[in-house]
Amino acid sequence: MAKMKIKAKAKGDIVKVKAMFTSLMADTEEAEKKKIKVEYITQIVAKHNGNVVFEVSTSGFMAENPLFKFQFKGGKKGEKIEFTTTDNNGKIETGKKKIK
Amino acid sequence: MFKFDHKSMLVGASVVAGTALFLTGCLPSSSSASEIKSASAKVSTTGVGPYDPKMGALDGGVTYSRENGQYTAYRYNEQSTKGVDHGRVPTANELKAWDMDIMPDGTGLPEGEGSVEDGDELYEEQCAACHGEFGAGGHGYPALSGGNQEKDENGVIKTLKNQRLEPGMDAPKRTVGTYWPQASTLIWYIRDAMPYAHPKSLTNNEIYAITAYILAANEIEIDGVEMDDEYVLNREKFLKIKMPNADGFYPNIDGPTAIEDIRAFFADRAKNIGSGTRCMTDCKDPGMTGKEATVMKIGYEIKDVVPAYSMVRDLPPELEDKVISKAEKLYNENCKLCHASDNMGAPAVGDVDAWYEVAKQGNEKVIINAIEGMGGMPPKGGNEDLTNTEIKKIVEFMIDSSKKKH
Repeated sequence: MAKMKIKAKAKGDIVKVKAMFTSLMADTEEAEKKKIKVEYITQIVAKHNGNVVFEVSTSGFMAENPLFKFQFKGGKKGEKIEFTTTDNNGKIETGKKKIK
Repeated sequence: MFKFDHKSMLVGASVVAGTALFLTGCLPSSSSASEIKSASAKVSTTGVGPYDPKMGALDGGVTYSRENGQYTAYRYNEQSTKGVDHGRVPTANELKAWDMDIMPDGTGLPEGEGSVEDGDELYEEQCAACHGEFGAGGHGYPALSGGNQEKDENGVIKTLKNQRLEPGMDAPKRTVGTYWPQASTLIWYIRDAMPYAHPKSLTNNEIYAITAYILAANEIEIDGVEMDDEYVLNREKFLKIKMPNADGFYPNIDGPTAIEDIRAFFADRAKNIGSGTRCMTDCKDPGMTGKEATVMKIGYEIKDVVPAYSMVRDLPPELEDKVISKAEKLYNENCKLCHASDNMGAPAVGDVDAWYEVAKQGNEKVIINAIEGMGGMPPKGGNEDLTNTEIKKIVEFMIDSSKKKH
C-alpha cells in the first residue's frame, strides 16, 4: 500500500504541494487507549533537486493520516519532488511525484 | 342504548363522522361526539402511576393491544382501507425516467471515459471542499478514502472489524475502498446526486474521471493494473472492477436463486450466525464459561415525577414590570436583530466606542444614513413603514443608550 499521496502543481515558478501520509499517528498514550501498536511519523522531509524545501518534526499530536500543504519557489513542471518519512520505529518510506 | 366511556381515546375521523351523523338522528345533542368510544382504540394504561407501564412497553410508554395478545408502542390504525384508492399506474415513459440506476452488471452504465488526472482537477474544484483533500473527509461529510484494505485470515478487511470497546477506540472504517462492494454505486451516486450544490451537472466523461480519481485514491486495482495519473477509465474497464470488499457481505442476495440462498443461510443459524441455542432456564452461565453472566436490572425505577409535569397550556406571562419607551419598542421590532451585537457588522447598541465614532458625524447625518441606508444596512432598517420621525426617535434612543454612563 502506497504510504503517501502527493500532489504538486507549478504556477509560474511557485510550486504548490499537498501531501497526505498514511499513519495512525498514535503515540504511547493513544495507543494504550485504543489498544493498537505505537506508530507515528517523527520526521518528514521534502526534497527538490537535492535541496530540502520542507522539513517537519511530528509526533502523536497530529491527527491520523496527516495532510500537509506548502509552497516553494524555483520548481518547474516535469521536475520531481521527493518525500522521505521516518517513523518512531525507524521505518523509512519514500515517495516521488512529478510536478505538474 | 349507548354507553360512553369518557376516558377512552378516539381515533379515526371517518368513524367519528359516521357515528356523529348517526347520533344527530337519534340524540338531540352531538356535543358528546368527541367522547365516543371508538372500537379501534384499545388503550391499556392501567398500572400504578404514570411510570409503571406493562411489560414490554418502552420506558414510561403506553401499550396498544393488538390481536393474539400482542401489543405495540404505537397506535395501530385498524380502519378499513376499502374505497381508498390513491394514485395510478405509471406510464411507460414515467417508469423509464425513474428507472435510471446503474447496476453492477452494467445496466444503465453510460459510455464515456476520463483519466485519473482529469478527475483530480475536477475533484479539487467540485468535491474537495466537503470531502477533503485526497478524499480524506471532513466538515461532517463522509470520507471517500482511508482505512486500509489489509485482510485477515478469513478475508475480512481488518479496519472493518474495529470495535469501540474502550473509549477513544476507532470505529469501523467504511469508505469506498474498504466497505463498498460495488463500484457501480459510486458512479451512479456521483451522476445522480453530486455535486451537492448542483447535482446532475457533470458530463459522462466527468463522472468517469471523478470515479477514476476516487478509485485511485483508494488504491483500487483494475484487472491487476494500478491506477496511476495517466490511467483512463472507461465503460469496458469499469466493468472489470472488483472492489476489495465485494465478498464481505453475506448472505449472497444476488442472482436468481437469491431467496433460496438466503433461506438456506438463515436455516443454519448456529453455523452462519453463531448464535448457538437460546437459554430458557437457569441461564446464569449460558456460555458455560465458568463465569456467571451479569444481569443488568433497573436500579431506581421512575415511579413518579416530582414536581409533576405541568398540564397548564397557556403561554408564560409577559414581563410587565419594565416600562419601555416607544422608541425602544420600535428599536426592538426593527433594529435589534442586527444592532444587538456587532456580529452583523453593525455597531452594537451599548458599545460606547463604536457609537462615539458614529455620533461624531452629528445626529443629522446619522439620521439621514438610517433613512437612506448605509453599507450593509437597508434604508430604514428594511422597514419602509417607519416614518422619518420614528427613525429620528430610534436613532436618538440608540445613541443615548450607547453613551458612557457616569
